[in-house]
Amino acid sequence: MIEFKEISKQWPDGTMALSEVSVSIPKGQFCVILGPSGAGKSTLLRAVNGLMQPTNGRIVIDGTALTPATARYLRQRVAMIHQHFNLTLRMSVAGNVLAGLLPVVSTGRAILGWFTPEHRAKACSLLARVGLTPKHVQRRAGELSGGQQQRVGVARAFMLDPEVVLADEPVASLDPKISREILGLIRDAARERNATVLCSLHQVDLAREFGDRIVGMRDGKIVFDGTPAEFTDERVEALYRGAKWEDTPKVEEEVSFEGMPSDLVAA
Amino acid sequence: MGQSMKIKPIPVPAQGSTLDWHLDQPYRAKHLLWLLLALAFLLFTGHRTEMDKMVVMTGQAVGNVIGLADDSQVVRGLSRVGESMWPPALGTQEEVARLTDLDRENLPFLASIQVHERVEQKLNTDTLELEEHREQAELLVKPLGYVWLVFIKMLETIEIAIWGTLFSVVLSIPLAWYAARNYTYNKFTYTLARGTISLLRSMPELIVALFLVLAYGFGPIAGVLALGLHAAGFLGKFYAEDIENADKKPQEALEAIGAGKLKTLWYGVMPQVVPQYIAYTLYILDRNVRMATVIGLVGAGGIGQELKGRFDMFQYDHVATILIAIFIVVFLLDQFSARLRAKLI
Repeated sequence: MIEFKEISKQWPDGTMALSEVSVSIPKGQFCVILGPSGAGKSTLLRAVNGLMQPTNGRIVIDGTALTPATARYLRQRVAMIHQHFNLTLRMSVAGNVLAGLLPVVSTGRAILGWFTPEHRAKACSLLARVGLTPKHVQRRAGELSGGQQQRVGVARAFMLDPEVVLADEPVASLDPKISREILGLIRDAARERNATVLCSLHQVDLAREFGDRIVGMRDGKIVFDGTPAEFTDERVEALYRGAKWEDTPKVEEEVSFEGMPSDLVAA
Repeated sequence: MGQSMKIKPIPVPAQGSTLDWHLDQPYRAKHLLWLLLALAFLLFTGHRTEMDKMVVMTGQAVGNVIGLADDSQVVRGLSRVGESMWPPALGTQEEVARLTDLDRENLPFLASIQVHERVEQKLNTDTLELEEHREQAELLVKPLGYVWLVFIKMLETIEIAIWGTLFSVVLSIPLAWYAARNYTYNKFTYTLARGTISLLRSMPELIVALFLVLAYGFGPIAGVLALGLHAAGFLGKFYAEDIENADKKPQEALEAIGAGKLKTLWYGVMPQVVPQYIAYTLYILDRNVRMATVIGLVGAGGIGQELKGRFDMFQYDHVATILIAIFIVVFLLDQFSARLRAKLI
């Protein structure tokens, strides 16, 4: 159970990334956060493990509020899958997956790379689970294709058997076929552990296919919250309507020349 | 997200409005003024550093060599030293009478005993006349004795360089940790580490060695410490800057699960920076070998100490042997480090 309680975030330049977002995601749910770029999806996800400090509001995970005192404990239970995979490219696939255990491994063992047999067996079984083969284990992560790198990212995320998985646009840079495979892996691995998944996406079709629930965001606010069945084409249209150039902030529209079609204002 | 907010659209002007197109020349009067100022500065400082005199003397030397000028101070000086440097000293001769523990049956490799006759003029105290006095002396001749001595001294120099490098690596690791903005504990530790690095870098090895010789006496200790201290400043600075510039993405991934600073550094940063670290460390080893030959001049051990002694005794043929040895070692080290780098990166 993740509870967002009136989370607001204002960037130093005054932009409101999130305005008083309140939502709670029950245990075991695959919740997709959908919306145009700049809607605040990543910012919301990053609030859960404290990578982003909200200006106002609280995060409560399974009854424990996220504070500097509880952050270290909570972070071990919240895994994250990143848009750009965020692997150490010059390190082996095995090293990257084992790095997912670092919070529970002693510093000495970590420095020497001397992991216990159980930990090494777990890394192997997770790599097998995400569809890699033994010949990948000692390869450098940077030598793998994008899809394979994200498989490693997924394996790393599940090393600590997390209760919450944050997936920040995990398939934004992958092709549709691999995107489905990766999202399927995340969904199935999370179901096996009854883990809650909070997944931000760009693609409406993937959101409908994989989400138990869809939360639509626009300009830092939640504008839709319901099941995929309720997320009709009209709702999609409403969510994206008027969203022109993806990253053009509202302020800039005011300086555009009057009388010009807005799509000539190039980003 | 914060980044994307900064992208500003280029405004498109209304259709039909007249546009003022112009492309200026790249230079203006301002640039000419700067050029004249730079020229004036070069003329002024060039005179103060005797660059004009240098050009005249070098011109004379070239003229002397090709037969246009009668005399050149530069050519005279160089040829005097040059003549006494060639051929380089290879062997040694020692009087057998002075060698107490020489085993005649079992001479060292390549060595032989030769009898030399010495003629001396001696004053006969009875007649008060000079008389020729013949004296026979046995000499132990080692044809490659001096080459061997230089080899031993060179080894000592390389050992000093290796230990100086080890010392600097060990010292620079904590310095780099505290001097990396994103891993230091607070502003105080950052400033302290950066200050230490600047201090170490600002002290030339030769000066440090001069003081350390006073503290530890003649020999390699002063050499190792002097090389290590200076290089620790260099390595600390470069190690720290690589930590700061490393790709943030893997670090964020490890930070997100609460891995802790040290483990994040080890798994998220070190694999990225290792090739650069090896390159820096090899450069320091290379530099330390060259510097180790120099700091011997102030008595900090190694080949430099030998060089200084021979130079002061005007034995330029021995100096020549040492210089050739230094060149060979630096050349071999260049080859070695180039290969190691190519293999590891």
